[in-house]
Amino acid sequence: MSDQVEIQFDLEVDARGLSCPMPVVKARQALKELEPGQVLRVVATDRGSIKDFQGWAQSASDFELLAQHEVEEEGRKLYLHYLRKTA
Amino acid sequence: MESMTQTQSDFQIGASALADRLMAGERPFVLDVRNRDEFERWRLEGRDGPLEAVNQPYFEMFDYLEGDDVVGALATYAERHLTDRLPREGEILVVCAKGDTSDLVAQALRRLGYRAVNLAGGMVAWGNFYRFALVEQGERLTLLQGQRIARGCLSYVAISRGEAVVVDPGRHLRPYEEVLRERGAKLVAVIDTHAHADHISGGPELAARLGVPYYLHPYDGIHPIDMLPAELEYDYLREGSEIGFGESKVRVLHVPGHTLGNTALVVDDRFLLTGDTIFIDSVARPDLGGQGERWAPIHYRSLRRLAELPGETVVLPGHFSKLAEADEWGIFRRELGRLRKENEGLSKLEEGEEAYIRYLLSSLPEFPEQYVEIKRVNGGLVRPDEEKASELELGKNICALAQAYQGAEGNGNPDGGDGDE
Repeated sequence: MSDQVEIQFDLEVDARGLSCPMPVVKARQALKELEPGQVLRVVATDRGSIKDFQGWAQSASDFELLAQHEVEEEGRKLYLHYLRKTA
Repeated sequence: MESMTQTQSDFQIGASALADRLMAGERPFVLDVRNRDEFERWRLEGRDGPLEAVNQPYFEMFDYLEGDDVVGALATYAERHLTDRLPREGEILVVCAKGDTSDLVAQALRRLGYRAVNLAGGMVAWGNFYRFALVEQGERLTLLQGQRIARGCLSYVAISRGEAVVVDPGRHLRPYEEVLRERGAKLVAVIDTHAHADHISGGPELAARLGVPYYLHPYDGIHPIDMLPAELEYDYLREGSEIGFGESKVRVLHVPGHTLGNTALVVDDRFLLTGDTIFIDSVARPDLGGQGERWAPIHYRSLRRLAELPGETVVLPGHFSKLAEADEWGIFRRELGRLRKENEGLSKLEEGEEAYIRYLLSSLPEFPEQYVEIKRVNGGLVRPDEEKASELELGKNICALAQAYQGAEGNGNPDGGDGDE
């Protein structure tokens, strides 16, 4: 996980409690709402989302993965993914 | 095949049924929708090696997503991008990590007329599936081989007159507790033949839960790379120790080399639980403690000693590398006399110590970096949660010499070479 500097975002997707593939599906839908340059934050509880967003970002041509953070919330781990729309 | 009476459950295959089919030699075509690196690290294998497969990560399959119609989007993607890569005839087994996404992909493929079936629970369930094969059911001794098929890990439950000993249990305790209950047996001891590097031992927890001693050789109570003592309770195994259960007994042979405290166990003078020494196709590697060159000569002498046991001794190893190593009964076992001729790692013992050490050290497959951490877990130095434990254990064991993994034309098998730890 990258450094924990606060990152500004324009839209957030709540994927807490959702299992694969829904964090990616929700993010794909939300990216449509954004303009190039804007940032989407996805909040997931599925640990598998870390690698999946990395893999997805490698092949996708319309966004880049800015950062991934791991934080605690009420005793459970949250995985925060920051995606910047590029096209 | 398709008919109105079929329900969703007709399109699911569980780990147990898949194991039976793979053992029987079936080779379903696989569509694996996990990450590319996960696929490359660990994939489904049939009797003779990896199944024919297409890897298409699911997260690339949502380009045509409209609204919430996930299955529709997957079907459109498959129609435009996958049809030339998938067989029209025959079954397609769709797999992912946990079995949810692959279920949706399988539904999408069925809309297009494919015979697509989902691996229920995904690779996680596959990796955590154990089955027990009956090796011996005599008046005095019942011996079962616990097979963790996906990882190639073998463990044993030996029962005599209602008393049981469990050897090298995996970290999931329920399969062992169920066998003990089914057989009406009371556990009296848990033994690890050595401190494992490839999987997390269930030994300490199983022993603690049932209030019986956990045995380990004291040399393996020290982490070989950290040089730190284990933080767990165990009783000492030593050369010549005997552990009785019912009217049977386990006799301990100290055979250092794979680890310094490596042991093999003789059950009733007939069965040799070799742990990580002699496997069916190969022998154990000497380098997982980070001391391959120093330990290779000791390993050679230990292997020699075991190879000189009576030829009718039945070898029951701690690992297998390929399903094809199982005999016609689905059990990973061979008579020692036969292995002396057929197992390359044993036949080469004749060439003498110097040549053998060269052979060992030139046959080392990759050193998975998580093996150092797994040894910490097994020494009680690190206590991972379930997700971390599952991640550490991902994939098939790599405890044998490199030859054991060949024969599949390098289809995603470990290819050896960079022993860089």
